[in-house]
Amino acid sequence: MRAARIVLVVVGVLVMAFGAYVLVTTVRPVRIWGLATWLLGAVVLHDAVLSPFVVGVGMLLRRAGRALRAWVLVVVQSAIVLGAVLALVVVPEIAAKDHGQKNPTVLPFDYGTRLLVVEGVLLAVVVVVLIVGVRSARKRPAALVEPTTNR
Amino acid sequence: MASPNRNARSAVVTGRLLGVAFLVCFGTGVYSHLLQQPLPGMRFPTQPAQLYQFTQGLHITAGIAIIPLLLAKLNAVIPALVQVPPVRGVLHLLERVSIAVLVSAAIVQVVTGLLNTYQWYPWPFPFKQVHNALAYVIIGSLVVHIGVKLRIIARYWRARDSYDEHGRFVVDTEVGSELVPETRSVPGATEYPRGLTGRLLRWVDGAPTAGAPESSPERAPELAPADAEPRPGGHDSPSGTRTMSGQPSLGEREAAPAGDEVAARDGHRQTVARRGFVAGVTAATVGVVALTAGQSSVLAEPFNVFGPRQRHRGPNDLPVNRTARAAGVLATATAADWVLTVAGPAVTRTFSRAELVALGTAEARLPIACVEGWSQTASWKGVRMRDLLAAVQAEPGSRVRVTSLERHGGYRVMDMGPEYAEDPTTLIALELNGATLDLDHGFPARVIAPGRPGVLQTKWIEKIEVIV
Repeated sequence: MRAARIVLVVVGVLVMAFGAYVLVTTVRPVRIWGLATWLLGAVVLHDAVLSPFVVGVGMLLRRAGRALRAWVLVVVQSAIVLGAVLALVVVPEIAAKDHGQKNPTVLPFDYGTRLLVVEGVLLAVVVVVLIVGVRSARKRPAALVEPTTNR
Repeated sequence: MASPNRNARSAVVTGRLLGVAFLVCFGTGVYSHLLQQPLPGMRFPTQPAQLYQFTQGLHITAGIAIIPLLLAKLNAVIPALVQVPPVRGVLHLLERVSIAVLVSAAIVQVVTGLLNTYQWYPWPFPFKQVHNALAYVIIGSLVVHIGVKLRIIARYWRARDSYDEHGRFVVDTEVGSELVPETRSVPGATEYPRGLTGRLLRWVDGAPTAGAPESSPERAPELAPADAEPRPGGHDSPSGTRTMSGQPSLGEREAAPAGDEVAARDGHRQTVARRGFVAGVTAATVGVVALTAGQSSVLAEPFNVFGPRQRHRGPNDLPVNRTARAAGVLATATAADWVLTVAGPAVTRTFSRAELVALGTAEARLPIACVEGWSQTASWKGVRMRDLLAAVQAEPGSRVRVTSLERHGGYRVMDMGPEYAEDPTTLIALELNGATLDLDHGFPARVIAPGRPGVLQTKWIEKIEVIV
C-alpha cells in the first residue's frame, strides 16, 4: 500500500508538471495571468458561494423533511437537485445566446422559455408529491420518518 | 454540516464515478487533440468512420455528466473543507493544496468546456491550449489525490465493508478520513454546539431549545424525540467528543438497553438518506445528459430540449459552424474563375468546378463531427481525393496539404496523412444531401474524410499540394 501510494503521488506530480509545461509553452504569460485569476475565482466561488449555498439548502431540506415521508422527500430532493443542475447548465446558454449567435444554427432554441417550462414541470411534480404525501401522512400519522438528510 | 451522506463512503462512490468520467474525457480529449496536432509519424484509423463522432460525443456527454457528479462529490466532502485545525503540517498542507488545484482546475475546465459548446468565450485566455494543459493538471492532481487517499478508498471500496448490519456507516478512524461524522450523544439534542450554530441546528432538527440540554448528556433513549439524530457509537461516549470506535454496532448494543431498536432506526434513517442522495445525483446526471445529448446522439434526439445544436437544422439539412461571411470568402468562393489547384511533385493541374462535377461521381455517407460535440451523418458526392492525386501522378501514400480560401483562422491550412488521402471515402465534396453544396458548407468544394474532427474537413478549398 505504501509503495503504491508513493508511486501514485510521484506519477501524479509528474503529470501535473507536464500540464504546467504544456501551459507555459503554449500560452503567453499575459494570458496565463488571466487563467490564474479564473482558477482563483473558481476556488473562491466554491468555498464562499457554492458550499454555503448547498449547506443552507440542505438545512432547509432537513428542516422541511422532518415531517415528510421518505419517498416524498426523495422525490422532492431529486427534483430540486435536477432543477438546480439544469439551471446551472442552461442559464449560461441563455447568456451565450444573448451575447450573440455566430449563425442561426448555433443555439437555435428559445432556451429561456424551455428552462421555465422544465422547471415548471419539476415544480408541479414537487407540489403534487407534497400534497399526496401530506394527505397520506394525515391518514396514518404514526408512520412519519425522521429527518433524513440535508443532501 | 453533518449528514449521512457526508462520509468517506459517499466520497469514494462519487469519486469513483467522477474519476471514470474524468478519464473518459481525458482519453477522448487527448485523441481529439492528437488528431488535430499529430506527433511525427502518427497514423489514425479511418474505419469505423463514426469513430470520432463517437469519441467526441462521449467527451461532451461525459463532460456534462461531470457537472452533477462534481457537485455531489464536493457536497460529500464539505466537512473536510472546514476541518479543524485547517492545516496539520507540511504534508497535510501540500495535500490540501493539491486538492485546491484539482477542484479549481476541474471547475474552470468544466465551465469553459460547457461554454465552448455554446461557442461563447468570455475569458482572457485561449480556450484550446488551456483546455489541453488543464487536462494534464487535473489527471495529475487526481492521481495524487488517489495516492493520498488510497487507504480510505480501499477501506470503503465495497458497500459491505462500509455499513453495518443495520445499514449504518461504519466509522474507521484508522485510515485517516477527515469525513468522520460528528457524533452527538444518542439520542436527543445533547451535543449541539454553543451559540448561533447550535441554535440553527436545533431549529433544523426541531430539537427543544428551552432547558438548554447541554447539561444532560446522557438522556435515556426512551425519552428521545422521534426526530432525534442517533449516531453510531455515540451513546456511551462522553459529551462533546468524537467517537473513534471502529465497531459501533457491537459495543453500543451491549451498552445500551434499547440499542438495537435505536440502531435499526438509525440504520433506516441513514439508508433513506443514502437513497435520497443517490436518487438526486442520478436524476440530475441522467436528466442533464438526456436533455442535451440529442445534438450528437440519435437515441437522445427526441429529448433535445437544451442541446446547443439541433440535427437537420441548417442549409443542406445540416448545422453550420463557420459561415462564408465569417470566413470572409463571400466574394472569392462565388467567383466565376474559381479553380482548384492540385500540385503533385512533378505535375500541377487546375480544375474548374464544372470539370470537378464531371469527374465527381463518388458518393459517401460520412458524419460531420464537431469538437463542440454535435454531429450528424450526411450524404456527400464528389471526387475521390486519391483519384485527384493520381491525376497529378502523386505516389500512393502521399501526405497532402489543403489550403482554404479563408484569409485567416487557425484551420485555413490543413494537413492530411496518407491514411485519409488514400481512403476511398475521402472526397472533394461538391454535393451534400442531394443538393449543391451550400456556400456555408464550403461551396465550391470542400474536404470530407472519415473519422476526423469537423475543423479538419476544410471548406472553400483552393489548393491541394502533395508534401513530402
